[in-house]
Amino acid sequence: MSLVHINIFLAFTVSLVGLLMYRSHLMSSLLCLEGMMLSLFVMATMVVLNTHFTLASMMPIILLVFAACEAALGLSLLVMVSNTYGVDHVQNLNLLQC
Amino acid sequence: MNMFSSLMLASLSVLTLPIMSSILNTHKNSTYPHHVKNIISYAFITSLIPTMMFIHSGQETIISNWHWMTIQTLKLSLSFKLDYFSMIFVPVALFVTWSIMEFSLWYMHSDPYITRFFKYLLTFLITMMILVTANNLFQLFIGWEGVGIMSFLLIGWWYGRTDANTAALQAILYNRIGDIGFIMAMAWFLFNTNTWDLQQIFMLDPNLTNLPLLGLLLAATGKSAQFGLHPWLPSAMEGPTPVSALLHSSTMVVAGVFLLIRFHPLMENNKTIQSLTLCLGAITTLFTAICALTQNDIKKIIAFSTSSQLGLMIVTIGINQPYLAFLHICTHAFFKAMLFMCSGSIIHSLNDEQDIRKMGGLFNAMPFTTTSLIIGSLALTGMPFLTGFYSKDLIIETANTSYTNAWALLMTLIATSLTAVYSTRIIFFALLGQPRFLPLTTINENNPFLINSIKRLLIGSIFAGFFISNNIYPTTIPEMTMPIYMKLTALTVTILGFTLALELSLITHNLKPEHPTNMFKFSNLLGYYPTIMHRLPPLANLSMSQKSASLLLDSIWLENILPKSISQFQMKTSILISTQKGQIKLYFLSFLITLTLSMLLFNLHE
Repeated sequence: MSLVHINIFLAFTVSLVGLLMYRSHLMSSLLCLEGMMLSLFVMATMVVLNTHFTLASMMPIILLVFAACEAALGLSLLVMVSNTYGVDHVQNLNLLQC
Repeated sequence: MNMFSSLMLASLSVLTLPIMSSILNTHKNSTYPHHVKNIISYAFITSLIPTMMFIHSGQETIISNWHWMTIQTLKLSLSFKLDYFSMIFVPVALFVTWSIMEFSLWYMHSDPYITRFFKYLLTFLITMMILVTANNLFQLFIGWEGVGIMSFLLIGWWYGRTDANTAALQAILYNRIGDIGFIMAMAWFLFNTNTWDLQQIFMLDPNLTNLPLLGLLLAATGKSAQFGLHPWLPSAMEGPTPVSALLHSSTMVVAGVFLLIRFHPLMENNKTIQSLTLCLGAITTLFTAICALTQNDIKKIIAFSTSSQLGLMIVTIGINQPYLAFLHICTHAFFKAMLFMCSGSIIHSLNDEQDIRKMGGLFNAMPFTTTSLIIGSLALTGMPFLTGFYSKDLIIETANTSYTNAWALLMTLIATSLTAVYSTRIIFFALLGQPRFLPLTTINENNPFLINSIKRLLIGSIFAGFFISNNIYPTTIPEMTMPIYMKLTALTVTILGFTLALELSLITHNLKPEHPTNMFKFSNLLGYYPTIMHRLPPLANLSMSQKSASLLLDSIWLENILPKSISQFQMKTSILISTQKGQIKLYFLSFLITLTLSMLLFNLHE
């Protein structure tokens, strides 16, 4: 694997670890989710452009669109939690209330 | 070449002069009402000349003035049909209107908007003339709607009173239902005979005329207050007495009958529609006569009397005698208008008292009004050789000797005797006995306007029947020979009604009043028809539409079926089956460790 690929892959891994290990704010995992999406986008664009795989050049853009939707969903969940507790500390989500 | 058409057009167009003077602001004068009255008298005299020419020579004219537009193959123009019906009706209507205008100079004397009142009455007269002389259905419809609008404006004259507003709205609504029938007939004629001109329709003589004639019958039901669309006529008594005298006794309510008379060439070929008309008229005349028996407002009794006589006219059309119905229209105008004017005189003299239980003893206090009231009632019931006799007796004779529905005939005869009953009731309560009004009275009938107008109609009520019957040319041949009991039927039932009513009134005059019986309540509350029909159908309509549109479509189909049901279901099941406690960091960490371990194993294993 070339250096560039390793670089982007490392960025993805760092974001993944940041998504799964965080202290208290839900917001930080959402941010890491965005970072994962960004690195995936760059990786996909690079590979497609380098191999001149024109038919697949739609894929990164569609990935972007779906990532936007998922970010909106994540933010709405954040807002729901914040409405109830005022802060988005994860340790508040210990009661499954409806 | 004679002056027939010019004089008739002149007589009709002078009526529009006072309306146009409102441009010059002369209508703010205090002499404007006198001008209007004078112009109507001049129009009457001018219209007598063409009528006499018509009677002498039988010359009918159609004046087609101005071509308005042509829509593909339909030609609309301004055309006047001056035939038997319009030539005789126009002088009668102008005469009665002249007397009513003079009467309202006395009655509405203290009203601050008297000039506007006269302008409204004049506009009504013009639209009525348009209706009567129309040669095509479009012009007739213009007149038809015009009289409806003026009726609305005049009934609601004292618009501060909620009852008056309700009554005016009621008149418009019931008339509108009739207009649906009119427009249906117009559409049918347009489709099937390609015209709205009466001549072409009669010439083409279409075969299946059930639908348009039903439409015209519905229109007549609405405008002439037949059973089913009748409650607006008694409610219309909220308007001033001149309005009741002009609109709701002589002119507007006969517009429906006039329409059916105009279409008699089509109706004489359609037996079904004739039977329908006959039964409708018979129901109306009996029902309204029953309702009139127990009313206490003098104007309402006379209004129901009008409705009953209109039913009689419809019965006459139903036995295929349009010319007799027309004769009854003309004679009825005289005595009915006079009855209303007498009641107006009584009401004003007793300081706006309309309840007959609070009148009495006017026989000596108001001799002139008494005379004309009694003569009007006698003419109404068909006393021999007064005005009503010439039309009403002929109608009853013809109905008796024709091949017709026996039930309808029986209803009509009963209604004729009831006419005598309620007329006797009015006379007994208003005129005879001891006075039941307050001692401080303002009884005054010395005004020349009042006396002259009633006097003119009085002479008309006595002589007009004889005069008109002897001067018109013969149309349908009346039945000449019949058994003596049939000849005397009308007279017998009338005398029976008189005697019965008089006996009952005298016997029960001093008895203790009891609780009303069921029949009394039926008659007094107008057969419960307004009570039921004004509340139940609107409630049913509105609640059904609310339930179907708002509840069914919006709430259930758009909201509840998918979105709300899904969210409800999800919440319930997730509460039911989840065992999580929300330890998110633990879950994420375990995920990460699993991932790392699997990566390591996968990579380091050969």
